[in-house]
Amino acid sequence: MTSTRRRRGRRDRYLPYLLLAPALILLAGMLYPFGLGLYYSFTSYWLQYPNRFRFVWFDNYIDLLGEPLFLRALEFTLGFTLLAVLLQVGLGLAVALFLHARIPGRSAIRALMLMPLMIPPVITALMWKIMMASTNAGILNHLFSFVGVDPINWFGSTQGAIVSVLIIDTWGNLPFVALILLGGLQAIPTEPYEAARVDGAGPIAMLRYVTLPLLSPFIVLAVTFRAMDSLRIFDVIYATTAGGPNDATTNLQIMAYQYSFQWYQMGKGMAQAVVLLLLVVMVSYLLMRLWNRASESTQ
Amino acid sequence: MRAKSQWLLAQLCATFLLLGGYLDASAQDEQALAYYRQAKINWRQAEGQSLTIGLNKHPFTESLLPLIPEFRRLTGINVEYLILPENEYFTKLVADLSQQRGEFSVIMTGPMRNWQYVPPDWIIPLDDFLNNPKLTDRDWFKLEDFYPALIAANRWNGKTGGGVGEGPLYSIPVLEESYILAYRKDIFEQYNIKVPATIEEMAEAARLVKKNAGIAGIVARGTPTIGTVATGFISGLKGYTDGKWSELDDKLAANLHDARSVKYTEAWVGMVRESGPPNWANMQWYDAMEAFTAGQGGMIADADFFAANYEDPKKSKVAGKVGYALIPAGPDGSPHSGLWTWALGISKATKNKEAAWLFVQWATAQPTLLNATIGYRNYNPSRASISSDPRVHEVMAAWGGGSYLKTVAKNLETARVAWVPQPERTRLGDIWARALHEVYFQRMPAADALKKASGEVDKVLKEAGIK
Repeated sequence: MTSTRRRRGRRDRYLPYLLLAPALILLAGMLYPFGLGLYYSFTSYWLQYPNRFRFVWFDNYIDLLGEPLFLRALEFTLGFTLLAVLLQVGLGLAVALFLHARIPGRSAIRALMLMPLMIPPVITALMWKIMMASTNAGILNHLFSFVGVDPINWFGSTQGAIVSVLIIDTWGNLPFVALILLGGLQAIPTEPYEAARVDGAGPIAMLRYVTLPLLSPFIVLAVTFRAMDSLRIFDVIYATTAGGPNDATTNLQIMAYQYSFQWYQMGKGMAQAVVLLLLVVMVSYLLMRLWNRASESTQ
Repeated sequence: MRAKSQWLLAQLCATFLLLGGYLDASAQDEQALAYYRQAKINWRQAEGQSLTIGLNKHPFTESLLPLIPEFRRLTGINVEYLILPENEYFTKLVADLSQQRGEFSVIMTGPMRNWQYVPPDWIIPLDDFLNNPKLTDRDWFKLEDFYPALIAANRWNGKTGGGVGEGPLYSIPVLEESYILAYRKDIFEQYNIKVPATIEEMAEAARLVKKNAGIAGIVARGTPTIGTVATGFISGLKGYTDGKWSELDDKLAANLHDARSVKYTEAWVGMVRESGPPNWANMQWYDAMEAFTAGQGGMIADADFFAANYEDPKKSKVAGKVGYALIPAGPDGSPHSGLWTWALGISKATKNKEAAWLFVQWATAQPTLLNATIGYRNYNPSRASISSDPRVHEVMAAWGGGSYLKTVAKNLETARVAWVPQPERTRLGDIWARALHEVYFQRMPAADALKKASGEVDKVLKEAGIK
């Protein structure tokens, strides 16, 4: 009897740990590569020269400040994120409002709109790269030629490459933003609209004073997701411009890749990745605070 | 009863047919292995061992895969392989070699890549295998059948700054790549354009093609990576300076901003800006090759073997319309083309070195490479006997109305590895190509961009402990 109780007592003591074990293993699996990357960022780790491996404290971070490409990459990372978020959330809102209206074939349009989400970003990028060929062989330039537009140098010029990457990223992620905002629109109760209508509000006023304030938590959520992704964008850039031309589309992620896997300077590459991580954490923290505030104000 | 005997008869016939088929297939297998069995070595000395081969996606790789079961039958060695696109392949390879995991036993490498792998002792010399009669029948393998320039390119004495062609042999070449000028003979003849012999004439020819034919006068690689400077550009620059200029001087100081290099860069980038395709800065090698193949360019100065693509009527719009010439040279008029060979080497960390050598020997044997050329268009052959094989010769002799073979033969008289041996060649090339972008986008004059690039190269070489 006593031994049974003792066994049960032991089981009760270990059970919580047992139940937590999968989560702990998962956590360790996530933390280990992160910790290793962080550690490498303080070393001179260069794959090709394993014998020169040593701890260099903050040297890699200090070197970054003197690296002109780093400043350009940082500028592009932030600028691209700002433009992408504005464009995607703006257009996403327009699409969501359109799909929220009672239009014929709404369900079919919604289903079709999800298609870009099902295509891997690299495939999306390569597909667009073919369509955006700089001569009239590219379908886009071919179509533009019918309205008298000269062939656009999509990827061969610095401005063209930035715009191209922005278009491709927007095409791939617009449905995601629209979906979040559509969900938000559907969650807004009808009463505020009825009250506004009684007060004589027109469609613009209703959008300004009812829809947008009530939708704001969803807008902030979409901005948060898109900002985090845009700061870290890699696949679309790598598959189309690889950071060129003239480093015009090199962001921190591409730069970290080049240092780590093209030139094998893992220590420097990891330092860049850590800076990017800090940037993402900082931006998402600020946006989450904004989201909390927006959620509270709508309740 | 009658039905039963008919059934039995049918069974007997089927058995004989199957047996016949098996014997026939078996005879074919034996025939395929017959040449290899002439080698006076025991191919089964490493029977039961396993190898993993690291391969880059390439026609040679495609040619090898269907033959691997033959190698297994011949040697009893189990072979697995991993094929990756070039960039990913080299990253994975360096990760494996640097940690000495020995995941890859045999690797696809080449002269300039060996400069990265030899100093840290990651790959092993092949001379000991070649000179061991237990492992190699030299009369059968015929190392002397490989073009001497290609074998020399894969030898290195390990000294930074020189020593190519000396010291141990680190890899066996599976193809030859030197750099020549391909031009649209039809357009040049129609508009009476002179085949260029200098960089200035080349720029003029490009201008005339664009003006008259309405297509890009020149197509070329242009991404901000080493490829942009590693083929036609560096070959032309070497020729322009009569082979007397190098990207690093005797003390390994970067020399990209040398006055001759600046002048040549101005001419080249000026030509590409004025007469090249608008997307030059985003063109990979295959974009440039495909553009020329699709009839969108008047000239291309790049790998000689791209001709296999230009001259393939199934996919080319310019088959039969292309002429071949040496890349424009400098005052002394002699070509100084660069050289590259894909080649097979052996990782030091592999446990099964003898098995790995048997694989390398088999994969670079005459019939294996002949099959790669005939069946998979793995041009240009690294063995003279394959170039002179009637089936191969007939194909290549027709290219450019005979000008192709003559041009390549002349080119190979002086072609050699264009770079100064040192492990950071790729990084140097990337920095150099970025400087070309600065000039192309008119952010800086060539002199300033190349001076800045030289400074960056010096910094990297110092950081890497090379100088």
